[in-house]
Amino acid sequence: MLRIASQPRPNWEQLATEFGFHFHTMYGEPYWDESAYYQFTLQQIEQDIEDPTEELHQMCLHVVDKVVKSEALLRQCQIPEAHWDYIANSWQQRQPSLYSRLDLVYDGNGPAKLLENNADTPTSLYETGFWQWLWLENLVDQGKIARNADQFNSLQEKLVNRFRKLKQQYQYQRIHFTCCADSVEDRGTVQYLQDCASAAGIEVPFLYVEEIGLGDTGYFTDIQDNPITHCFKLYPWEFMLREEFGDALETSEAQWLEPAWKSVISNKALLPLLWQSFENHPNLLPAFFEQDAHKAHGGKWIKKPLFSREGANISLLEDNQQRTQLSDGPYGEEGFVIQQFNPLPRYGEHYVLIGSWLVDNQAAGISIREDSSLITQDLSRYLPHIIL
Amino acid sequence: MSHNQKRSKSIHLPQLRKAFALKPLALGIASVMLSACGGSREASQIYVSPDDCKQDNPEATGQCLAAYEAALEEHNRTSPKFNTENDCEYEFGSDRCQYVKTSSGSFFMPFMAGYMVSQLMQPRPYYSQPLYTSFSPYSSFRSRWVTSNGYVFDGDIRRRSYNAPSSTFEKKPTVNRTIKRGGFGSSVRAKSSWGSSSKSKGWGG
Repeated sequence: MLRIASQPRPNWEQLATEFGFHFHTMYGEPYWDESAYYQFTLQQIEQDIEDPTEELHQMCLHVVDKVVKSEALLRQCQIPEAHWDYIANSWQQRQPSLYSRLDLVYDGNGPAKLLENNADTPTSLYETGFWQWLWLENLVDQGKIARNADQFNSLQEKLVNRFRKLKQQYQYQRIHFTCCADSVEDRGTVQYLQDCASAAGIEVPFLYVEEIGLGDTGYFTDIQDNPITHCFKLYPWEFMLREEFGDALETSEAQWLEPAWKSVISNKALLPLLWQSFENHPNLLPAFFEQDAHKAHGGKWIKKPLFSREGANISLLEDNQQRTQLSDGPYGEEGFVIQQFNPLPRYGEHYVLIGSWLVDNQAAGISIREDSSLITQDLSRYLPHIIL
Repeated sequence: MSHNQKRSKSIHLPQLRKAFALKPLALGIASVMLSACGGSREASQIYVSPDDCKQDNPEATGQCLAAYEAALEEHNRTSPKFNTENDCEYEFGSDRCQYVKTSSGSFFMPFMAGYMVSQLMQPRPYYSQPLYTSFSPYSSFRSRWVTSNGYVFDGDIRRRSYNAPSSTFEKKPTVNRTIKRGGFGSSVRAKSSWGSSSKSKGWGG
């Protein structure tokens, strides 16, 4: 695994405009960064990332199965009691999922370690499935990268195939797509998924989360009062379950992507639960619920809220004592977990985090993010990669 | 590098080009759906009128009329509805839409172009559903049969006989009016207002 400096394509910003990639620069900071790329061997990709990703996913499904059958665990995961049946049913019916992203610490050697699972609302999808794919095509065409170079990135192909299957096997003829207003990045991600679903022959109307209505017959409605029967939402279950329309979920009969059972594994309670079930698995870091912190002997630990996004509200514990707050944020009221500290590998001034994608249960590619701080924050940069 | 390539084999770039595309272009691959997978199937016939049906089933004129009326009723209940005539005609073609005024509001909807009947000649209850077609060059179901919930049948409108998935005949959900909006999305406002460094970001992770 190497970091290789590279000349940005002279016309890349123009290309970005042409393809509607509007969030390559955010808040005045570059987000898409092609001044370098990471290079892996095929063996690193297949043995250290692809296979463990699929195995970790199966381990997560094992945890879902365990949690939905146990009131104590549902409570420990802070799932609101009113929705226990709804979530358990979504799992018993095996409601289909679309995708997820595992965040891994990996430096080219030894087993990758799972930091967390973005199982519900993962982003950086467009940059991965399409934009870095196009980057490699362009650089190979210009003779800047060897013709036999490849990329671990079948994301777009697998997404279109998954939508095709949802249509044929699960009768998803029309999917409403939704995300919050006011986020260019989220809207871009959702537009990309609309394009993938549309390529599979599905109708793809869009509306913002805030615009979803509730009809007199109990169905959710779009702006034209059409019932929403199938819906992709880039909006977390932990919010939906606690908001006003949460009470209408059961009678609405809507099929959601991601399905409600994903609320169990997008929750950081997953980490200690994985450790309980698969202690000492090479791809796991030791993790405990806050109240079991005495089991964490010595060393450095990271304390994270059960629900949080983009590295918010994280602190560092040393020898169960000192406490350094590493990031600020609005989360934490639902409790915390602790996970053994495993620093991100450093390349020059850059700390590197690997996002490993799954479409349903198949490993589908990676995204690489760099940050100048140890905790990957919102404004980390996205870099492409190749296999050679 | 062909059989074990780790990246998407090809990506259709025009589909992702956004600068000039006003509407997503319909892709010509919407016809793969009546393949073997998924659910049970009902041998079904499509008729454009009760007379059309009677010609095919001279001994069942009563059923033909009843099936037509059931489809028409379902059509009024579940047809796609549009705020403007323009939007409706964009999807279904010019002069293919009617203005409808009800107690809960007014809108435009396409004319029912035909109806699909299953088990007309069986002693069991028959099933009937309204069907639509489009004359619009912008539509993904131009010259095809489509159900009110968007299921597009393979082949063009001259084809009248299908093994339709049984879900085609399920009762479609309907809504008369929306009683409330804004019941999702409140957490965002709460959580994104922390601190002065707040960057109005989405909720992806």
